[in-house]
Amino acid sequence: MYRMKKRISTGFVHVLLLSGALLSLFPFYWMFVMATNHNSAINQVPPAFLPGNQTVENFKKVLSNVDFFGSMWNSFVVSTLTTLGVLFLCSLAGFAFAKYKFPGKNILFLFILLTMMVPPQLGLIPQYYIITKLDWLNDLKAVIVPGLIDAFGIFWMRQYISSAIPDELMDAAKIDGCSNFRIYWNIAVPMILPAFSTLAIIKFMYMWNDFLWPLVVLREESVYTIQIAIRSLMDNYVRDYGMILSGTFWATLPLVFIFLFFNKLFIDSLTQGALKS
Amino acid sequence: MGCSEDEDASGDGKVTLKFWVFGSAGYEQLAEEYMEDHPDVNIEINHSEMNDLHNNLFTSISAGSGAPDITMIEVSAIAKFMEAQDRFYNLYDFGAEDIKDQYLDWKWNMAESPDGSYLIGLPTDIGPTTMFYRTDVFEEAGLPTDPDEVSSMFQTWEDFFEIGKQIKAETGKPIVDGPELLYNALRDQADQQYFNENDELIIEGNSAVKEAYDFTARLIEEGLVGQNELWTPEWGNAMADGSYGVLLAPSWMVANVKENAPDASGKWRITTMPEGAGNWGGSYIAIPKESEHPEEAYAFIEWLVSPENQLTSFKNNGLFPSALPVYEESDFIESTDDYFGGQQVAKIFSEAAEQVKPVYMGKNHAIVQTEIVNALMNVVTKGTDPEAEWDEALTRIKAQLERQ
Amino acid sequence: MNLNTDKNKMKNISIFTARMTEEKKEMVTGYLYISPFFILFTIFGLFPILFSFYLGFQKWNGLTEMEFVGWANFRFVLEDPLFWKSLYNTFIMGLLGTFPQLVVAIVLAFALNSALIKFRNFYRVSYFMPYVTSTVAVAVVFGVIFSEQESGLINVILSWFHLDPVNWTTSEWGVKFAIAAMVFWRWVGYNTIIYLAGLQSIPKELYEAAKIDGATLFQQLRYITVPMLRPFIIFTVFLSTIGAFQLFTEPLIFLGRSYREEGITVVLYLWREAFVNLSFGPASATAILLFFIIIIFSSVNVFLANRIGR
Repeated sequence: MYRMKKRISTGFVHVLLLSGALLSLFPFYWMFVMATNHNSAINQVPPAFLPGNQTVENFKKVLSNVDFFGSMWNSFVVSTLTTLGVLFLCSLAGFAFAKYKFPGKNILFLFILLTMMVPPQLGLIPQYYIITKLDWLNDLKAVIVPGLIDAFGIFWMRQYISSAIPDELMDAAKIDGCSNFRIYWNIAVPMILPAFSTLAIIKFMYMWNDFLWPLVVLREESVYTIQIAIRSLMDNYVRDYGMILSGTFWATLPLVFIFLFFNKLFIDSLTQGALKS
Repeated sequence: MGCSEDEDASGDGKVTLKFWVFGSAGYEQLAEEYMEDHPDVNIEINHSEMNDLHNNLFTSISAGSGAPDITMIEVSAIAKFMEAQDRFYNLYDFGAEDIKDQYLDWKWNMAESPDGSYLIGLPTDIGPTTMFYRTDVFEEAGLPTDPDEVSSMFQTWEDFFEIGKQIKAETGKPIVDGPELLYNALRDQADQQYFNENDELIIEGNSAVKEAYDFTARLIEEGLVGQNELWTPEWGNAMADGSYGVLLAPSWMVANVKENAPDASGKWRITTMPEGAGNWGGSYIAIPKESEHPEEAYAFIEWLVSPENQLTSFKNNGLFPSALPVYEESDFIESTDDYFGGQQVAKIFSEAAEQVKPVYMGKNHAIVQTEIVNALMNVVTKGTDPEAEWDEALTRIKAQLERQ
Repeated sequence: MNLNTDKNKMKNISIFTARMTEEKKEMVTGYLYISPFFILFTIFGLFPILFSFYLGFQKWNGLTEMEFVGWANFRFVLEDPLFWKSLYNTFIMGLLGTFPQLVVAIVLAFALNSALIKFRNFYRVSYFMPYVTSTVAVAVVFGVIFSEQESGLINVILSWFHLDPVNWTTSEWGVKFAIAAMVFWRWVGYNTIIYLAGLQSIPKELYEAAKIDGATLFQQLRYITVPMLRPFIIFTVFLSTIGAFQLFTEPLIFLGRSYREEGITVVLYLWREAFVNLSFGPASATAILLFFIIIIFSSVNVFLANRIGR
C-alpha cells in the first residue's frame, strides 16, 4: 500500500518534471530551427518546425556583419573578471555583515538593500557622465568596475554565511589566534562553496546577458560584447531573423557548455556542503 | 575629449574621423576609396543598430562628451537633434549652400532650422512611397495587372476604396496588410501633419490627419484592412503568401519583400499610389560640435553624398538617392528588376520622390504617430469605435506634450 | 582622576583595553570588508541616484538648461491615468509571473534534490537553460509563440480545446499573460538554483525520520522543506518583488516601441518619458515614486512570506 502510493506520487513527479523540462527546452529547439532556416521559412505561419539547411549560410552572414569571435572574447573577459571580483568582494562584505559587530551595521545593510530598489534605467545619463570623466569610454573597465557593485551578492552571502557558519566555530578560531583574514579565507570560504557557485552562475549570466549599460559605454566594434554585436545585426529596414537567431544560437552554445561544466562543479560543491553538515 | 586627441597624436599627422553608421549603407567601401585619395585622412567607421546609435548620440550630446566626428541621423530623429542644433556644426558655414540645388527640396529642408539659417545634416537616401501589389490577387479579383492600367484605375482614394470592396468580394482578402501603411500614405499627402512650425498640435477638428484617420477607419469597418502589425513575422509571411492585395510602401521595402518572399518572384508589381506619394525613412549626415576636424569631416561628407556616390550606394545597397542629377542617369533610371517582372523600378520611385510634399514634422512627431497607430490597431483588432479611440489617443497625446 | 587608586585602575583598564582592541579590531575589519562596496557605490551609484532626486524637481529635456518646477512633475505623473494603469499592469504581471513561479521553483528544487528522481542532471540542466538565453532570443521566440494570428502556436493549441484565438499583443489579458509567461520561463530556473542551495541547509535526518513515519512527498514538502526554507523564501520573495516592479526588458521587446497601455509597466513608462519624450523631470519623479512603492511592497511581501509554513 505504502509502496503503491509512493510509486504513484513519484510517477506524478516524473510527469510533472518531464513536461516542465520540455517547456523549458522547446524555445531552445526553436531557436536552433530558426538559426538553420531561411528567413522566409521562419516567417511562415505556422513556422518551420524542423531544422533547415541554412546553418552555414546564416552564420556566414553573421561573420560578415560583426566581429563575432572578438565580441565573444570581450563578453568572456567582462563576465569572468566581474564574477571573480564579485565573489571575493561580496563574500568579504557578507562575512562582515554576518559575523562581525560594528556600529551602524544594520543601517548600512539596510542601505545596501535600499540601493536595490532604485530603478537603474534613469541613472544612465549621470553614470555615462562619470565614465566620460574617468575617460573609460570604449574600455571594458567601464562595464567591469561598476559591475563589482552587487548588492544582491552581499545580501546572498550574508544570508548564507549566517546560517552556514556557526558562531562557535568563529569563537574557536579566534581563541586559536587565527587572524581575521585567515578565518575568512581558511574557514569560511571552504564552507560556503555552494553559495559561491550559485552566485558565480548568477553573476556570470547577468554580465553575459547585460545589455543596456554596455550599449551606452561600449561604442566601438572592437569592444562590443556579444549582446551588442547581436543587437547590431538588427537592421532597421530589413530584418533577417535567420541571421539574427544564428548569431544568438552560436553565442548561446558555448555558454551552455560552460554551464554544463559549472553544473558539475555546482553539484560537487553542493554534495560537499551536504557532507559537512 | 580623450579618445580622438590620443589617436591624432599617435597617427603621425593623420586626421582621424570617427563615423557612426547604421543599417547597411555600404559606406565602408566608399570610405576606403576616399582614404586612398586622401592619405592624410583616416576614417574609422563604427556600425550599430539605428535606435542605439540615436540613443548613444543623445547621451553623448547631453553629457557633452563621446560623440563622433561624423554621424548618420535618421529622418525620424532629425527633429529631435535639431532641438540641440548648437551641438552640431552649421554646415552652411562650410559652403553647403553651393550644393543645395542638387538635392530634393523637401529632403534638404528637414535638416534645416525653420528660418533656413542653420543646417545640421547633408541628405543621403530617401524612401519615396509607392504602391506594391500582388498580380495573383488582382487576377483573382478580376482586375488588370499591368502597372499602367492599375495606376490609372487607382486615381483617387475613393477608387482605392471601391477596388478594395471588389477584392474583398471576389477573394475574401483585405486590400492592405494593416492599418499603419495605409494611414501613413494618407498622412504624407497632407500639407500639414501633426504640428505647425511653432510646435503646436494641429490635428484637432477637421484636420487632414483626422481625414486620413477616418478614411482608414472606414476601410477597417468594411473589412478591407488586414490585422498585421509591421515587422512581425506574420506580416513578413503575408508578403510571401499574398494574403492581401496592396502594400503602400517605400523604396527600401523592395529588399524586405525579396527577403521575406523569395518564392513570390514575379508576383509583385509596383506602381504609383493614388493622389501622390509620401516618404518613409532615409538619413542625414551630421558633424557634432565635439569634432576637432570639422573641415576635413565636411569635405568627406560632401563627397560622400555627391550624386556619383549616391548612385553607388543605390547600386550596391539599394539606398534610394536624394540627389537630383542621379535621376537623369540612364543606368539608374532604366535599371530593371526581374523580381518585379522586369519593371523599371527606379523610375517609378524617382517619380514618386519628386511628388513628395515638403512638410514640417517637429520633434514630437513620434509621440503623435505612436498613439494614432495604436488607436487604429485597436479599431482593427478589437473592433472598437474609431471615434472613441481617436478621442482617447488625443487625450494621451496632449498629456504627453503638456509635460515637456 | 585620582592618582591614588591608579594601580587598581590600571589593571581594570588593561583588561578593558584588551577587550577594546579585540572589539576595535573586529570593527575595523568589518568596515574594511564592506568598504569596497561603499567606495564603488559612492562613485558609480550615489551620484546618479542623487541626480535623479534632483531632476525630479526640474524641467529638463537632456539638452537645454534645467528649470526648477517644484512638485509639478509629481503632479503630472500622479494625475496621469497612464501612470496608474502602468502601476496596475506591473502589479498584475508581477502577481502572475512571480507567485506561481516561486511555488513551482520550490517544488522543482525539492524534486531535483530528492534522491528518488532519475536523470536528475538532465532536469537540472533543462530547467536552468532558459536562464542562459539572451533577451533577443527570448523576444523573438516568444514573439512567434504568442503570435496574434489564428495560426500562431498558442492560438492553434487553444483551438484544439475549441477556444477562441487571443490577441496576445493587443488585448488586456493577452499581453499580461504573455509577458508573465516570459518572466516565468526565464526566471524559474534562477529561483530553483537559490532554493537548491537552500535545501542543503536542511539536515537529511529530518527527511529520514519523516519517511519512517510514512510521510508522503507532499507532506515532506509541506512540513519540512517549506518551513526550513523560510529564510530563502523570504529572500526570493524580496528579490522577486523588486524584479517585478522593475519589469522592463520583456515588455519593451515584446511590445516593440508602441508602449501600448495594456502592457506598459512603470519602468517602461519612465523610460518612455525620459528617452522617447525627453521629459526627464516626470521620468525622475516616476522613479522616486517607484522607489517608495517598492519599499512598501517588499516590506509587506517579506512580512507575508515570514508567515509561510507557520
